[in-house]
Amino acid sequence: MPRSTTSTALKLVILLVLFAAIVAAFGLYQPRFLQTSLVSTVLQFASMLALVALGQALIVLAGGAGIDLSVGGIVSLSAILSMMALQAGAPPVTLPVLAVAIGALLGAVNGILVTRIRILPLIATLGTLFVYGGLAMALTAGGSLSGVPQWLVPFGRGLVGGVPYHFLALVLPAYLAAAVILTFTAWGRWLYAMGYNERSAHLVGIRVDRIRFFAYCLSGALSGLAALVSLAWFGSGRPNIGLNLELESLAAALLGGIAITGGSGGVIGVLIAVLMIVTLKTGLQFVNVSTVWQVGIVGALLLLVLLLDFLIPRRRA
Amino acid sequence: MTDNAFLEARGIGKQFGGVTALADVDMDIRRGEVLALLGDNGAGKSTFVKVLAGAHRPSAGTIAIEGRPVSLASPQDAAAAGIATIYQELALSENLSVAENVYLGREDVRRILGIPFLKRAEMRRRVGVLLDELDAHIPNPDMPVGGLSGGQRQAVAICRALNLDARLVIMDEPTAALAVAETRKVLALVRRLAERGCAVVLISHNIADVFEVADRMVVFRRGRKIAERRRADTDPEEIVSFITGAHPSLRSLEHLG
Repeated sequence: MPRSTTSTALKLVILLVLFAAIVAAFGLYQPRFLQTSLVSTVLQFASMLALVALGQALIVLAGGAGIDLSVGGIVSLSAILSMMALQAGAPPVTLPVLAVAIGALLGAVNGILVTRIRILPLIATLGTLFVYGGLAMALTAGGSLSGVPQWLVPFGRGLVGGVPYHFLALVLPAYLAAAVILTFTAWGRWLYAMGYNERSAHLVGIRVDRIRFFAYCLSGALSGLAALVSLAWFGSGRPNIGLNLELESLAAALLGGIAITGGSGGVIGVLIAVLMIVTLKTGLQFVNVSTVWQVGIVGALLLLVLLLDFLIPRRRA
Repeated sequence: MTDNAFLEARGIGKQFGGVTALADVDMDIRRGEVLALLGDNGAGKSTFVKVLAGAHRPSAGTIAIEGRPVSLASPQDAAAAGIATIYQELALSENLSVAENVYLGREDVRRILGIPFLKRAEMRRRVGVLLDELDAHIPNPDMPVGGLSGGQRQAVAICRALNLDARLVIMDEPTAALAVAETRKVLALVRRLAERGCAVVLISHNIADVFEVADRMVVFRRGRKIAERRRADTDPEEIVSFITGAHPSLRSLEHLG
């Protein structure tokens, strides 16, 4: 019974149908919604979520009740800390490396809490979400930090053939690399094996804790990359820029076909789900539904996916 | 007598705190032979096997492999010495294919920029050959393990052991959860494993299975090896009387215990 492959394909089809329905519904309600600039707009807004959702997807895939609720906090705090480093005299040219390194470091803290101290990921990353997010607010008293180098701004706002630079340069390569590694390398096999059955993976000698620790670091680094996109885009470091990313990235990962129990799913579906969520939010914006409601609707979507996951039976030894 | 021995254990003992789980066990394990370990629950057979698998350090005694003394301090040591243990739970990943499971953790890879890309065709081919050799009744190495029967899963686990170049395969209750037809197939697999020159140690509670497949039997009772018989020299009744402690030769021991 090729359960994993058929249910993954099935989820992908459901996702694409849902995506088409959303686009069609907004198009029927407001034909102006379907203008050519829609693609650029959606991709511009999608980059940050796409990067964060990729990390989220890998952590959930790795199993062990893996989840990273702190991604939003990491995005905010990496943006703030890397800007503060610049203000403290770090050379501006190091900003991209700083943002990613700080993100990876914050992710490593999650990794230690989960794999060494053995705190449940849900609790550990909920804790760090508040610590990181709160720290970003406290360090700035809620204000923005200006001083992003001018040479970075075109990267945040520029388009090539209607596609934002950062989507082309960061999101596509990241997803491509992740898809290739998951499908064609031993690392991918280990991640699926430990995600589905941690005990058996351990018995065959897969170093489960090390891989899981690395997944949290990677998720942190990808959140740092999202922070970099935000700096380039807005030209300043905002302490609340990561708000709600934990909810949206989790929704994207699960909508994209990653099983919440781990060990099943792929990242291409996650990218499609990201684009769908951003399209939905853009559409709601377009028809003047407030941001508050948008969060609620994404939350409802997440609940729906989890329900579907429970309704589709899973065999497990 | 020990000319064909792969592994010689002498005076193996194991204490857990004040409890003696194993005392003064001598055993030879030979190539091409199926050795069955029998005994009641808690008799010491599992403890002994865990010592061989590197999961327990013995409190006393020595182990030699091919005449050379070895220390089996960890499962890695045991694997390096050519000892593979197939646990009852089998340690298979149901979401991966047969070939992927056989190679899991020890994949055949081609490194490009340090990234271990799988040699998938090569692994599939090799697993196909192994499955054929074992006559394992698994048509396709690409099948997900989640869809296989209990007996087929045993075959995958055995393939895995063979692929690791195991020279001693330890199997813990391989037929415990199987239907009759499946049990037949697994017992045939066990025989074929021995015919390939592997030493096989089998833990089983099923006397009929043991008499069908084992060349030699060792009975444990209260942490001691109390009997060793070649199949030709014994019968199920004698073995059962050893296991239950009813055998006349055990009377004096029982009083001491």
